[in-house]
Parts: sequence; C-alpha cells; structure tokens
Amino acid sequence: MDFAYSAEQEALRREVRQFIKENVTPELADEANPESDVERPRGQGPMAAALYKKIYDRGWLGITYPKEYGGQGGDRLTQYIVEEEFTRAGINITLGGSGAPAIMAAGTEEQKQYYIPRLIKREVSFCLGFTEPHAGADLANLRCSAVRDGDDYVINGQKMYTSAAHMSTHIYLMARTDRNAPKHEGISIFLFPMDTPGITVRPLWTIQNNPTAPVGTTYGNSRTNETFFDDVRIHKSCLLGEENKGWRVGSMGLNLDRVGASRYLISVRRDEDIVNWVKNNRFDGYSPAENPAIRDKIAEMWIEAQVCRLMTMRSMSIVERGGKFTYEGSAEKVWAPEHGVRVTEAITQMLGPYTTLLRTSAHAIEDGVFAHNVMGSFQSGINHGSVQVMRDQVARRGLELPSSRRPKKVEAK
Amino acid sequence: MDVLLNDDENLIVDSAREFLTGECSTKLVREMEADALGYSRELWAKVAELGWQGMCMPEKVGGSDMPLVYLGLVLREAGRALAPIPLHSTAVATLAVARDGTAAQQEKYLPDVVAGKSVWTWAFTERDPRFVPEAVQMSATARGDNYALDGVKLFVDNFPQADYCVVVARTTAGSKGAQGLSLFIVDAKSKGISQKPLITLAKDKQSEVTFQDVLVPKANIIGAAGEGWPIVERMLDRGTALLCAQMVGAARKDIEMAIEYAKFRTAFGQPIGSFQSVQHTCADMQMWVDGGELLTFEALWKIDQGLPASVEVSQAKAFCNEKCEAAVRNSQSIHGGIGFMMEFDLQLWFRRVSAWTMRMGTSFEHRARIAHALIDIPGEVTLGRPLPAAA
Repeated sequence: MDFAYSAEQEALRREVRQFIKENVTPELADEANPESDVERPRGQGPMAAALYKKIYDRGWLGITYPKEYGGQGGDRLTQYIVEEEFTRAGINITLGGSGAPAIMAAGTEEQKQYYIPRLIKREVSFCLGFTEPHAGADLANLRCSAVRDGDDYVINGQKMYTSAAHMSTHIYLMARTDRNAPKHEGISIFLFPMDTPGITVRPLWTIQNNPTAPVGTTYGNSRTNETFFDDVRIHKSCLLGEENKGWRVGSMGLNLDRVGASRYLISVRRDEDIVNWVKNNRFDGYSPAENPAIRDKIAEMWIEAQVCRLMTMRSMSIVERGGKFTYEGSAEKVWAPEHGVRVTEAITQMLGPYTTLLRTSAHAIEDGVFAHNVMGSFQSGINHGSVQVMRDQVARRGLELPSSRRPKKVEAK
Repeated sequence: MDVLLNDDENLIVDSAREFLTGECSTKLVREMEADALGYSRELWAKVAELGWQGMCMPEKVGGSDMPLVYLGLVLREAGRALAPIPLHSTAVATLAVARDGTAAQQEKYLPDVVAGKSVWTWAFTERDPRFVPEAVQMSATARGDNYALDGVKLFVDNFPQADYCVVVARTTAGSKGAQGLSLFIVDAKSKGISQKPLITLAKDKQSEVTFQDVLVPKANIIGAAGEGWPIVERMLDRGTALLCAQMVGAARKDIEMAIEYAKFRTAFGQPIGSFQSVQHTCADMQMWVDGGELLTFEALWKIDQGLPASVEVSQAKAFCNEKCEAAVRNSQSIHGGIGFMMEFDLQLWFRRVSAWTMRMGTSFEHRARIAHALIDIPGEVTLGRPLPAAA
C-alpha cells in the first residue's frame, strides 16, 4: 500500500502548475472551454490553439499512448496528475471520450497511424454516435443501419445526444450490420468524417442554456445534438474491428472512459468551493461557517469526496498493475456522480435562495456555479452508463449475482 | 501511489485468514460470549506464537517493528473471524507505551506483551461519552512517590481479563480541557479498584471501573506529568483507525454471507439475488465497505508515515459508523427472519459491528473534528492535497 505520489510525480505536478500559472489566463481558459460558448469549436480559438501547441510540445498530450503513434508511452498515473491540474484550470487535455482507447484496442495498424497522432494534436475529434431515440440504457436495441454495398457501407438512421457533433471532425458510430442476428451480435463500429454527404446535425438545447454555465460546472454544456444519416456512403475501411463484433469494442472504450481524473474531479469540485466560500464569506451578522448543522454536513460531504478520490486511485492502481476491473470502474461511476448530486443539493440548503441565481445574475454566488450545478450534476449519473446500469454491473460482474434477464425473445421487425 | 495490497501485505492477510479459519469457529465465538473472561486463552497464546501482539512493538523488546498497516490487516482478519481475543485493547494500550513510554517502562512491560503473557486495556471515558479532554474528570493526586487515582471510568474494554490498564487522569487539580492530563500504567489488580460488568448488545466485556485512592508509582506516568493530551490523542487516533479495520473486516464477512444467501435462496421461482432491488442493495453494501476500507487504510498508512492523520482517522470512523451499520443492517434485511434468529450465525457479526460503530467516537464527533480542520484553519483547501492545518 502506498497512498502518496513519488517525489518525481510531485515534481511533475509542480511543473504543470507552473506552466499553467505562466500560460493560462482567465480569457484563455474561457476561450478553450467549450462549455462557455455554445457554437465555438472546442479549444480552437487562436489563443487556445497556441496553448495546446505548447502543451503538446511539453509532452503532456496523449501521455499514455505509444510513442510510435505520437504519444509519450507514459503511465496512467502521470496522465492523471497532468489531467488533474489542467482540469482544475479549465483546460481539457484528454483525447475526448472513448474513441481513442477503442482504436488502440481494436483498430488496424492503418487506423492507429492515422487517428491517434491526429487526436493527440487535436486535428481530429470524435463525437459519439451511440444512443438513439429507442436505444438508451438498452443500447443494443439500436436501429441505425449500415448495409454493405460493394466496397462501401450505406448508413441510415438517427442518433441522439451526439454532443459536440457540430464541432467534431469525425464520428465514432455504432450501427446494426446484421438484422437477423441476436441483438448484441449484429452490431459494428465505424469511424468517418462528419462532412460526409448525407449527415444532418440539429441542435438540442439543454437546461444549461441562456445564460451558459460558468467554467467548471458539472455538465455545463448548453448544446447537444441529434444527428441524421440519409444514405451516408462510407468506405469499408471505416469499420473499426470486425463486422458484427462492435458490441465488445464499444464496451471496451466505455469502460476506459469511466475512470480518470476528469470523472472524479467534476463531481467533487463543489466540495472545495463550499468550504472555501464559507471560510471567507458571511451574510451580514450570519456566518454559515458557524452553523453546527452546516459544519456537520460539510464534513459528511468531504468524507464522501475522499471515497470518490480513493475509488479513483483504486482504479488507477488496478490499471497500473495491468489488471482488469470486475466492478471497480462501475463503483467509481456510481459514487462520484451520486456524490456530486448530494453535495450540490446540500449546498442549496446551506445558501438557500442564493443558489437559485444563475451566472450573470445580481447577487449570484461564485458566478452561479451552484445553481448551474443543480442542473448539471445529475447528468453525470446518466451519461456513459447510468448509475442504475452501473449498480447492475457491480452486482453481476463484481458479486456474481445471477442475471435477472428473461429468456431472449425475437422482436417483431 | 498504489492503494492495493503488496505481496508482503497479501501474505499477512492470507496467513491470518488461514489460521483463523482453522482456529476460530463460530462455536468458539459463541462459547466465549458466555465465558467469564470472554476470551480464548488458547487462541491468545497461539496468536502470540504468530507474533500478533508484538507486531508493532520495538525489536528491542522482542517485537517485529512492523508498520501499523500490517496490524490493521491482522485486526481486519480478526474482525472478519470475530476472534475472541483482547487484541485491540492490548494494541491501543501497549502502543502508547511503545511510542511514548520510557525505555524503562518498555523493558519492564512489553516483553510479556509480545510473549502473549499479559492482556492490556485502556480507560479514558467517564460519564461524558465524548472523546474530548473535557470529558476527563478523574483526579490523580501526588502523594510521595505515588499518585492517588480517584474516579469512575466507563466502557473499559476487556477489564476483567486485563493485567494492566492505561488510565487517563488529571494530575493538575482544577485544570481544564487539554491542560493537566496524564496517562498512567495501572496494575489492574491494584488495591482500590473495583469493576462492574456492563451488559452490552455485543455481549463483549465492558466495565464500569471505580478507582478509590488507587496508588500508582510516579514512574508509571507515560510522558511528562500534566502534558499527556497529545499522547492521548495519538493513542485514540491509532485505536480508532484499528477499530475501523476490525469493523470493515467484520462487515465484509457479514455482507459476503448476505450475497451468498441471495444466490441460493429462492422466491417466486428464482434466486432472490436475481431481483434488481436485491442486486442494487448488495452493490451498495459492497461499495460502502470498500469505501470504509480505503479510508481506514489511508489513515493507518499516514500514521505509519508520521504524517498528520487525525482528519483521515475521523473520515474513516464517521464513514464506517454509518456505512458499515447500513451494510450489516441490509444483510439482515436480505436474510429475512432467519437472520435474527440466535441460532443463525449472521447475528454474531451484526451485533458486534453495531457496537463498534458506537465506540471510539460518534459520527457527529468525528465530523466536528473534520469541520474544524476544514473551516477554522485559514487557507484554501484542495481535495487530494494536505489541508492547511496539516501542511
């Protein structure tokens, strides 16, 4: 057991902090953060682009990816440390979701050579085309089809909640390639450019719209999308992994996406905010910091945040040892999001009506982050596998409880 | 950074578990509930051969000088097996001697501890159940080469079986709070000591111990007279973290029993473990005990490193108090009626885990300590970094 970072890792953290202090101004963080402006491409303003170039030159992008694909061949803990510091500064240095891990796990040499270096340099970005109107938690029920036609596939269907589709260069799409196979066995994954003819992206506005959420809000995105595919013709080389084996590829990517600094940090930052706020603020003669009930609740939430941190460390430790999760990643994905909700709701009962005030309002506390977090924190318990689905996985994979799934029935088409 | 057990730690756990599986049946646990002294002398002697009492004792007294984390792992296994031995109370008291006692005290007392020849306990609490210095009223009045102890201690663990008791008392008359407190090594058979058993839900040995003009040599003070509070705090922090280790060990076994039960108990034609309400409850139980375990071993590890660990200890205890209780209560729920029948073993774990949640600091007390460190000490806090108080 070792609960501390090594001297080398601590030195790296100081180095990253120094870099951030020297290079990340509030204006730059705002420009680089896609949450604060609904239409601007992620990190592609002139200041942000220059910053990412600098970060890349320092070797802090794609740390865990092999050198031959433009990464650093570093370990996950190094990635964690760098990611944690940049996330706190409002700068996203991840490769954005599950595309890159899935390509590393299932891609051809050609796909790895093409995508990974470009993802690391942020020349390519993926949006995720998984969910459909009738396939959410039961994702394998998806209908979007890819039909082979000579050397091509032709895609038809609709995807929901394709966040960042309007600012991504590519899509990472899950589609049905065999209608007659059992539902998990007729699915494939495709990677292709978003400017392929036949793709239409329509905005869906979230409850974080107008005013937009401050930087650092848990799920502050004001826009997501629905994306339509009408006879979209792509070359067969766009297939990732084997045809009809896409379910396994997709799950692999999602599992890796559930752990890391970002997932944990977005859920616990309000714990820091409230402690630091009550230490320095009061309402005329009333100091929430002196209220015994509030003190007790703050401590309770702080403990939970530590549990989230330690569960993340446990996942890191397992990955670092080259092991596989049975349930630990899922446990983390229950605890962090649910804690994020509990702490946010606790704060609303500490500060009362002030936590109704959104960004730009008079009297808003901390730029309205607590109010925006009320609308955002629960989203973390929904996306990338809901907390209910995660509990199923803890119970079935971790504890080996029997599946409650009924015998498969063939649904009428 | 690697929060999983390393090879040495796994070896300790495996050998302790294997030993207790062979030597500590629930039959023994039940017998010892009815025993006058409440512990198995045979098992106590055997664990001494394994070196458990001497694990964290200095080498010069025959101990192994191992990290507290290792003792935590052994206590976790002892909790898992509900081993009826006074290991926790002995560790709390003797670690105070080993860490803060004089060389003479260590040479005099600790070799017998390592050999399993003596049982120790400690006495802090009086009428006021809080673990704050104000709760100590007992007086220790200097008289020649001795102090005379007068007062009543409550909830003293394993007193009937103890040879020695580390007692906290006020050596400065009229002192308040943390000032004027001292720790004494007291022979439990001293003249003037009487004890009354308390009847507890865990059916363990807890006593009210009355001290009437009990003479204790001045040489038996641990640390400097009147300056004992920091030593008491360290003793309580170690003891609390070790109690958490014992608690998560017992709670883990308890929930494993419920999870196994859910796999074969059928209702409505299928195992109850296939129902999602039962599955999600089990998932929560697992995550609660995991959380308690991670917090506990981080606290023990920090103590080993000589880092400030009071906040970490309180995090572990406040969390374990509530979540281990919830976990074992849910195990009862999953078992239904059979779970609270005396003849069924599950209740043995339930009653002990419950009792341990109530000892060595309530959730409110521990959270108050955390809130103080977070809020009252100036400076910005950042999760995952030392608090301003500790930096």
